[in-house]
Amino acid sequence: MKNDLLLVEKYRPKKIEEIIGNEEAKATFVEWLKGKRKSKKAVLLYGPPGLGKTALVNAASKEFGFSVIEMNASDTRSEKAVNEIAKPATSYLALDTFTSESKGNVLFLDEVDGIAGNEDRGGVSAIIEIVEKAQVPVIMAANDPEIDKLRPLKKVCLLIRFHQIRLPLLISLLQKICLLEHVKADFEALEHIAQNSKGDVRSAINDLQSLSEENHVLTLQDTMALSSRNKDISQDETLRGFFSAKSVEEVSSLLFRSSVDYDEFIMSVSDNLPRRYTNPDELAAAYDFVSKADVFRGRIGTEYWHLLKYFFNALSEAAAVAPESYKPFELISPPIRIITLFWTKGKRTMLDGICGKIGAQCHVSHSKAKHDFVPFVKMIIQKQKSTDLISWLELTPEEVDFLVKMNRY
Amino acid sequence: MAVNEEGLMWVEKYRPKNLDEVVDLRDIVTSLKAFMKNPKIMPHLMFAGIPGTGKTTLALCIAHELFGPNWKNFTLELNASDERGIDTVRERIKDFSRYSRTGFGDAPFGLIILDECDQMTGPAQTALRRIMEIGSRTSRFILICNQSSKIIEPIQSRCAIFRFSRLDKQAMKEQLQCIAKKEKVKLVPEAAERIVDYSEGDLRHAINALQTASAYKEGEVDEKTVSLVIGEASPMQIQKMIRKALFGDFMEARKVMYEIMGSFGFSGSEIIRQVQREIFKMSDLTPEQKAELSNVIGEYDYRLTQGANSDIQLSALLAQFGKFGKAIGETY
Repeated sequence: MKNDLLLVEKYRPKKIEEIIGNEEAKATFVEWLKGKRKSKKAVLLYGPPGLGKTALVNAASKEFGFSVIEMNASDTRSEKAVNEIAKPATSYLALDTFTSESKGNVLFLDEVDGIAGNEDRGGVSAIIEIVEKAQVPVIMAANDPEIDKLRPLKKVCLLIRFHQIRLPLLISLLQKICLLEHVKADFEALEHIAQNSKGDVRSAINDLQSLSEENHVLTLQDTMALSSRNKDISQDETLRGFFSAKSVEEVSSLLFRSSVDYDEFIMSVSDNLPRRYTNPDELAAAYDFVSKADVFRGRIGTEYWHLLKYFFNALSEAAAVAPESYKPFELISPPIRIITLFWTKGKRTMLDGICGKIGAQCHVSHSKAKHDFVPFVKMIIQKQKSTDLISWLELTPEEVDFLVKMNRY
Repeated sequence: MAVNEEGLMWVEKYRPKNLDEVVDLRDIVTSLKAFMKNPKIMPHLMFAGIPGTGKTTLALCIAHELFGPNWKNFTLELNASDERGIDTVRERIKDFSRYSRTGFGDAPFGLIILDECDQMTGPAQTALRRIMEIGSRTSRFILICNQSSKIIEPIQSRCAIFRFSRLDKQAMKEQLQCIAKKEKVKLVPEAAERIVDYSEGDLRHAINALQTASAYKEGEVDEKTVSLVIGEASPMQIQKMIRKALFGDFMEARKVMYEIMGSFGFSGSEIIRQVQREIFKMSDLTPEQKAELSNVIGEYDYRLTQGANSDIQLSALLAQFGKFGKAIGETY
């Protein structure tokens, strides 16, 4: 899809009902805004980013006719700044009520947990003061209310917690957007996007947009390119520099300058090597150097860091096996290993449990059980209707089901 | 064990319970019987030999002979490759020896069977040596390993070492026939031959194959069924990975490799061992080609033990396969 508008903007909820999930939090907030705020003058919405806290404030205010005076606490947080902006908003705005249909103002302090550090001294107490003097509702939003600094705020605020959006809700939202944007997406692909976002609607929609920008079809395979969030950019840059370098010297100076994590970096090099070298001979030669680098890494352990130069040198050789064959290519990320281990964890745990049970009865190690027993036990269970073996091995129905359906290795 | 015997794995059902039931391994059994006459003189024992030749069975027989039906109360069975580290081994052995000072009644000592010792690292073995010294007044060790050369000298010198050689083909066939008879299954001689060939002297493997084959067809095991079972039990993914790599599809080969590691939890060295085995079974490679590949595998197997990350070493090996495949112009 091609969009002039960011999807997150285009599909930003305009009404309360358009915000997905967190029904209870929404209801509590609306109740409070509609006037049952006598006990507490202020409200603190808290929870991870991208769940609709800001959207709820804007949508609800609009629906109930309040004007929002927004102050982003992460920009201006000191006592003076808070006073300058927030105090006028709370004391003089009654004028508004005569001139418009507005029911008045609400003061919205977003990202109040941005208040931290020495330079912001007084920020929290200033907010408390505002809350106490305020004639209008004060709404605050925070990502992490557990920070000690915000504790005083809790006393004067109604606390409303936002939870991660459950996967099915998030997936169905993505499906809706795909439909409206004419993107044909596999369910698995959307599921992966949703999962990767950890329940963060905003990042999920952003990911959907970046993946479907040039494409009207989206498969699980496409979403594998999804970078896990909060990734260090310098790693990718170093990788690009690494693969496009013209000489060993260029690579080693790059590696020495870079601050990447060595272990992650060598994995990324390994992941991307086949994209860089499509000729089997070149690939084998390059991998031989990566393998040697890994051997040096093994020898370094946690102690012999003076060997690091050999690690770098071997790795640099891998980058410069055939400078003439370099063509730009798309980097693979995140690390294949981490993805695989993540997706297969359940299987592995189940298999380990089964092997433990076989090992206990047949006097063999887990690894022997896996090699010498599992394939046979699987076949016997499949062929024999008798459940004696199953009960002797103390296998649960889930384990039996797993064995029967398991792929051969 | 109050379990319906029909349901047992045959390897357990027909595992000899005492030394007299052991038909093979005459020399070893004779020496062990001598120890049994006066258990107090029994030294620590080390059983070394390839898998499935009766090492664990004899160790369990000794436990039976020494302690009778309640042998489990006086025996600590540990597997070095399962226990997280030498500290776990140490703790469990310490607890056991402490208990053994008061709890063994008539028994002269407690028995500690430590399987797959050669999986332990050098430092772990050094620690084990101390553990053996601490425990030796109240316990005896039976250490089981595939290669005694991987065990450090000080431990070897504290043990009477028994070497288990590959089981005789004829003896294996007799064993299989004997079990088949008791299970009222007709085992066709060609089928027995096929099982024995396949299992490469590993009786445990052979019996498992026999039991599985008998589950396929009521009352008879023929060569066809055996071939089917062996085919099903062979590591298909490993073969697929090797072929993809040789054919030059590195990306796909590596994907399979990660699947094997991820879904089945195999370690790098386990996979490399399987690769070695499968290469030698491949009929479309000449003996010279196999030898050459084996050299390559050997190099990376060694680097695996030295390196930090087995994924990288395995990937590098697959890349070598790609180069090799290109050189011999093989097309699969």
